[in-house]
Amino acid sequence: MKRKKLALLLSAAMVLSLALTGCGGDGGSGGSEDSDVVKIGWIGPLTGDSALWGTCESQALQMYVDEQNEAGGVLGGKKLELVTYDIKSDTNEAVNAVKRLISNDKVSAILGPNSSAPAIAIKGALDQGKVPDIATVATNVAITVGEDGSVNPYNFRICFTDPYQGAVTGGFAADELGATRAAILYDISSDYSQGFAQYFRETFEEKGGKIVAEEAGKTGDTDFRAQLTKIKEADPEVILLPLANYKDIALAANQAREMGIDATFFGGDTLPSDNIFEMAGPALEGTYVVNHFDYNDPAAEDITERYVEKYGKQPEINAYMVHDAFQLLIAAIEEAGSADPQAITDALTKVEIDGVTGHIKLGEDNHDPIGKEAAMQQIVKDENAEQGYSYKFIMKYSPEA
Amino acid sequence: MNVFLQQLINGLSIGSIYALMAVGYSLVYSILNFSNFAHGGVIMLGAYFGLYAVNLIGAPFLGAIIIAALCAGLVAVTLEKVAYTPLRKRNAPSLYFIISAMGASIFLENIVIVTIGPTFKTYPELIDKTPISIGSLHVSRLDLLMFAVAAVSLILLVLIIEKTKVGLAIKACSYSSRGSSLMGVNVNRIIFVIFLLGGLLAGVAGMMFGMRYTVYPQIGVITNKSFIAAVFGGLGSLPGAVVGSLLLGVIETFAVAYGESSYRDLVAFVLLILVLVIKPSGLMGKVTEDKA
Repeated sequence: MKRKKLALLLSAAMVLSLALTGCGGDGGSGGSEDSDVVKIGWIGPLTGDSALWGTCESQALQMYVDEQNEAGGVLGGKKLELVTYDIKSDTNEAVNAVKRLISNDKVSAILGPNSSAPAIAIKGALDQGKVPDIATVATNVAITVGEDGSVNPYNFRICFTDPYQGAVTGGFAADELGATRAAILYDISSDYSQGFAQYFRETFEEKGGKIVAEEAGKTGDTDFRAQLTKIKEADPEVILLPLANYKDIALAANQAREMGIDATFFGGDTLPSDNIFEMAGPALEGTYVVNHFDYNDPAAEDITERYVEKYGKQPEINAYMVHDAFQLLIAAIEEAGSADPQAITDALTKVEIDGVTGHIKLGEDNHDPIGKEAAMQQIVKDENAEQGYSYKFIMKYSPEA
Repeated sequence: MNVFLQQLINGLSIGSIYALMAVGYSLVYSILNFSNFAHGGVIMLGAYFGLYAVNLIGAPFLGAIIIAALCAGLVAVTLEKVAYTPLRKRNAPSLYFIISAMGASIFLENIVIVTIGPTFKTYPELIDKTPISIGSLHVSRLDLLMFAVAAVSLILLVLIIEKTKVGLAIKACSYSSRGSSLMGVNVNRIIFVIFLLGGLLAGVAGMMFGMRYTVYPQIGVITNKSFIAAVFGGLGSLPGAVVGSLLLGVIETFAVAYGESSYRDLVAFVLLILVLVIKPSGLMGKVTEDKA
């Protein structure tokens, strides 16, 4: 008898709560149109393996929001309010957080996450709630463009994509180094590596270069000497190593130098890792690496100082990426003239900003930054570095400039 | 011609590592008739033992390789006592041994991930890395050393099997354990010796692999190829394991050199399957004789 009463009570409570929140999910326009606050959401890892990056990103974003409010807010005086949820780098948590942000918190837009898997997972929830999201450091192509090539309507990103690194390295090798002969050693079992290699080939050939050898290895391989012997015969000036694992890059570089190959290497964002120099420092000296951003870029100094002053420690790359995502969002809100998620979504591809990580204009048909500059770094000997080598900032480069 | 020779050298260098690994599989198979997949785990530990011998106590190359071999030998013998002896006592079918071996291999890999960590470690430069150049050919000193180490270890093994009493007993057991035990051979002791020899070789192979490439918990995966090489050469036959390994190394390399590198494993393994279809016992697996 007692149990029945409890059940009745519970169901009554549930009905009541449904009635109170019911309008959130279906209406779509979750934005707080008439209030004087504009809510924006953020999702990312605040606990778990990637907490370091997520924490930095959310702290930096909070700082930008506060600064924006002090400077007068948005839309002629409305205050911004930031709602953050920890997703622990988990795809389910990410989807739940997005649903909560849309139906409970009624945010106008969402920033984050900073990795690819959750950024892909939240597509359905965004489409349903019709609220835009700008991912920060999520480079997988599938986040913004579906398998059939159509753009995902509510997914945007501020960083460049994996294969875009190929265009950057290919263009840089041809334009800045004047190379005309290039070789590629890629990983046949990795999408990342294949896309990277393909864009490198296209851009390098477009700029008049010739791919003299294109060889493949496979994740788990340790010996690349057969491929390198062929590459050596082809006598390239530069060799692209778009391998998915830094171990493979280190081994390939060591083996190439051992065989007397002296061409300049190029690597992507899989190269920088804790002990790459311990594994292959001397072999990699002089190698060019693509990165989203470089700390030594003068444009970033201001942010670094503000962050250090507020939080007492050095910011990670996320602080700069989320800065540009936030600036783009503010520009879109002003362009839209309202906090309506759909209006902001439409405005996101119309505005452009000069961010600290490069000039940013999102494409209509892919929602990725078009021709964004990348930071080119070179590996140099460094007495002060722990492993004897460090990354030196060379220049910002865009293949479309 | 030069390219051909260079690729041949590359292939033999890869093959000689496979050979050091493959012999351990063949040794155990010749007596116990099962594939000891834990061998890959022991090889991986050998690489770590050598690394720590060099880094912690500053052992020179020869000292480190002896330490690596002895420690790996100890692990292999312990593994036999823990994972296989109970099964042998119950006369379990070989399938159970294989499952137990796979379990041991996963166990070893994970114990290293938990205690040491998943990162890639490298040996300090124990020998000069600049290659010896003959014209446009490059032979690394490490490869020469590896050939030498592989040759010396394998010759020692053959001497033990052909010239000693224990070796005679091993050969006897490989024909028939039961028959040998009736003739007064202590089969348990022979199995101990087999695992010890296999473990010693695993330590040597692990350290050579680590020096050539890098040290990480998944090294055991590479040994799958050496196992295939052992089958290709004729499982249970030591010369078969060596020849099969060298051939696999060369075939793999030539598949890259004169074909498409993306098809390397495809070409190499189609060839292997063809050999096994035509001659199921492998190149040198004379099932009835010379199995040791």
